[in-house]
Amino acid sequence: MILLKIISKRFMQILTKNWDKIDPFHIDTYARSGGYEALRKVIREMTPESVVKEIKISGLQGRGGAGCPTALKWESAAKTKAQDKYFICNLDESEPGVYKDRTIAEKSPHQIIEGMIIGAYAIGAKKGFIYINGHYEKSAEILTVAIKQALEKEFLGKGIMGSSFDFEIEIFRGSGAYICGEETALINTIEGKRGEPRLKPPYPVNSGLFGKPTVVNNTETLVNIPFIISRGAKIFSGIGMKNSPGTKLFLLEGAVKSKGIFEAPLGTSVQELIYNSIYGGGLEEGKEFWFAQIGGASGRLMTAGNLDQLLVYGPAEYPLGCGSILVVDKSMDLKDFLVSWSGFFHRESCGKCVPCREGTFRLHEIAKRIRNNDLLPDDQERLEDILWTLGNTTFCPLGNFAATAWKDAIRIFGDKIFKAA
Amino acid sequence: MQIKINNKSYDCNPDETILSVCKKNGIRVPTLCTHPDLLPSEGACRMCLVETNQAKCLVSSCTTKVCEGLEVITESEKTNKARTINLELLWADHAGKCAKCKRNGNCELQRLAKEFNIDEFRFVPRRGEPALPDEIDLIKDNWSHVVVDEENPSISRDSEYCIECRRCVKVCRDIQTVEAYGFNHRSSKSNVGTPYEKPLDCIFCGQCSMVCPTAAITEKDDTEKLEQALADPKKMVIAQTAPSTRFTFSEEFGQNPGTFWEKQLVATLKELGCDKVFDTVLGADLTIMEEANELIERIKKGGPFPMFTSCCPSWVLYIEKYYPEFIPNLSTCKSPQQMLSSLIKTYYAEKEKFDPENIVNLSIMPCTSKKYEAQRKEMDASGQKDTDIVLTVRELARLVRERKILPSYLKEKKYDPALGISTGAGVLFAASGGVMEAALRTAVERITGQELAKLDFEIVRGEAGIRCAGIDIDGLNLKVAVVHEIRNAKKILEEIKQGKSEYHFVEVMACPNGCIGGGGQPLPADQEIRNARIKGVLSRDKGMSLRKSHDNPVIKKLYKEFLEKPGSEKAEKLLHTKYTNRKK
Repeated sequence: MILLKIISKRFMQILTKNWDKIDPFHIDTYARSGGYEALRKVIREMTPESVVKEIKISGLQGRGGAGCPTALKWESAAKTKAQDKYFICNLDESEPGVYKDRTIAEKSPHQIIEGMIIGAYAIGAKKGFIYINGHYEKSAEILTVAIKQALEKEFLGKGIMGSSFDFEIEIFRGSGAYICGEETALINTIEGKRGEPRLKPPYPVNSGLFGKPTVVNNTETLVNIPFIISRGAKIFSGIGMKNSPGTKLFLLEGAVKSKGIFEAPLGTSVQELIYNSIYGGGLEEGKEFWFAQIGGASGRLMTAGNLDQLLVYGPAEYPLGCGSILVVDKSMDLKDFLVSWSGFFHRESCGKCVPCREGTFRLHEIAKRIRNNDLLPDDQERLEDILWTLGNTTFCPLGNFAATAWKDAIRIFGDKIFKAA
Repeated sequence: MQIKINNKSYDCNPDETILSVCKKNGIRVPTLCTHPDLLPSEGACRMCLVETNQAKCLVSSCTTKVCEGLEVITESEKTNKARTINLELLWADHAGKCAKCKRNGNCELQRLAKEFNIDEFRFVPRRGEPALPDEIDLIKDNWSHVVVDEENPSISRDSEYCIECRRCVKVCRDIQTVEAYGFNHRSSKSNVGTPYEKPLDCIFCGQCSMVCPTAAITEKDDTEKLEQALADPKKMVIAQTAPSTRFTFSEEFGQNPGTFWEKQLVATLKELGCDKVFDTVLGADLTIMEEANELIERIKKGGPFPMFTSCCPSWVLYIEKYYPEFIPNLSTCKSPQQMLSSLIKTYYAEKEKFDPENIVNLSIMPCTSKKYEAQRKEMDASGQKDTDIVLTVRELARLVRERKILPSYLKEKKYDPALGISTGAGVLFAASGGVMEAALRTAVERITGQELAKLDFEIVRGEAGIRCAGIDIDGLNLKVAVVHEIRNAKKILEEIKQGKSEYHFVEVMACPNGCIGGGGQPLPADQEIRNARIKGVLSRDKGMSLRKSHDNPVIKKLYKEFLEKPGSEKAEKLLHTKYTNRKK
């Protein structure tokens, strides 16, 4: 039984299937390994409605972090009667230490493009954007070549594969702000506006880029699409958990033996990811597990007692987020983490609303005092107020994110933080 | 539809926000980024947070629409905690120099801080003076980027006071379409500012200073210049007061909006030490004489049409900067302020045998843009700067308070008669539509040669942004339009450009409802307050015995003794001006 599980996991390659097997600069190598077959199937055999239906059956959830059902976005956008619609691939990965989307773009760019074309076909968009983090120069270059080749092969452009469906993709290079990964902020920057989140509703699927219905999907979400179409939604939904199907790219970092990106079905426990030899393979020699941070700088802290938690989308005690697992061993200093978290969110707050703009600034201020062991008498009380207001009153979830790890740190290691070393 | 607020039911429309329902029903919810004149808030200040039965977390009432079955609690322990913490964070980011501040006592942040008992810094202030000597080191790190802009003659900006509420950004973008402001930098360094932090280069209407909750954007303070002039025994300070100021000065001293305080205003200026107080309304009457004449000339010559009024310096600047192709359409008449100023330094100085060099022309204006106008190079018809000092109503009131003068206790005084007799037509200049109505009273009588049976042109009055009318004068159908706020003016300009509208005469005022809503008027101001002020203006016009500019005895005397006739060579030199293409 265990053996079977391992085998099934090994075979369960959806996202990383082509990695290192194809040449990202040559479309033919992708086509030879079954690439653009799904697109052919969509164009020849399927209506937009049936594509949406298929995705709905698959139960695919957005891999950006929130886990919103992909079909929900597609369906709403497809239903609107607007003439112009946009399809955007979100490649503005800016979570510290996360590089899964970049790796996808560098190792299998056509998989992204194929997913986008199918999505655009489903919602009726004629224009798409790949919103790429400005720091990802190599990925942007690879994607540019890939788009050019796809155009030559008539997978993009006017009359795709002989049909009447037109779609073009433009690469938009962001400037690397964290908040621009949020879909409405991302849309604002494409429009040339300040990168800050918009008020929702209206949601982008109704009124997004230039006021037109817009679907914004994470890169990792899109690379699932060709698999779902060609292999069938049923097979996809059979992988992983019932409420959270499919596989996910997990990033193991920190004190684990083998670091990097691993594809595993959703519902894998943190324990397994860290200790199983096909993933992390345990901690580095001589290091002792302290805690793990799940899902980037905005993620919660997991102590040894909770390692059996399964990582899934949907309501979960430890949200999976972007899928990164930072393993921290006991040789590390928590105070460095505190400063690093607060510094990151202080830098990345857009400055729109008061609690986030001022709160993250004050949080960082107190963090520096904690690190320097010169806490002021009221700092603990202030800190509680700031974390409360960040968690409860901000305009967008960034404020919440800034408080998550801090709250856990105080709950679990409060004594260590407030006691001078 | 009905919703429950604090356990009581209220009627509402489905597209309303919680905040607007609260406001309508007198339930106070504190807010710093919402302003009644502006588009709905985007929820930046997080002060109006309320509890609802629809969401676990607090929601901002300014952005949340009402829905069926909604129950709202506006005051609870949780909302209070949220508001207090957020306010405290803002307070620590604010200059905190209340005692010296221009807005002391009339500041929305200060008012809330008082209400929420925020009287000490729990956070090290990022701006302003250090509270304790040993905090200096901490402050150094915290010092955030402060932008002070005093480069222009009208508006002064100091980001130390800014709480990033974005009202100025919105008023400039949505009402005036100038978009002078935006956001620079991000996170705690984010700052309202101009592109690339260049000095402010706009139309100086000052509407941003009208919506600013703190003293981040204010009128440029010229009170010191006046103090110097008053202290100089050689100088003769001659004041003039704009039509609208007599209806708004009272607000600064606790009177209801629209209270008519002409004699108190004159008395106050005399008490301050002004040697003479004249009336800009006379200048307005003069403007009408010249402008009506220009209109008649244009009708005779057949254009160029439409003729635009030129009393509003922001509007003139807008044309020069954004639509210079319409410069020939602007009336060449100077504004009442400049007409009267040049006459004081020529006609009056000659008559009374004063050296014009020793005359200091002070004008009390509702407007920040008049400060700019006074500085324009071509405004030197008298051989020197015509208007020396321009004070807004707010500055005057501040000076009066500093001098411990109580206007309501002063003995009422009248304008000095030499240039101080006015008509109802000139008084109408205070509100949008007034110039048009005053001009029509004179132009129609001059064209037809008959006395008007009814002086009120109700057709050009009102609140609408663009008001059009066709007026029949002896078979000529004179098409006129009255416009206020630049967004509406822009619409008209575009229509004219596309050949869609054919007006003969268009009055434009940059500020909402005209000068009565000007950028230098008392705070706060909203539609309700402006309506009350307009009511005061109209009833004053009604109650005056002289209601037509050409009936003004001083005007008659002026033309007889000095100017000869409207459009004469002398009038051309003193009362008319030229415009410059300033498009970039």
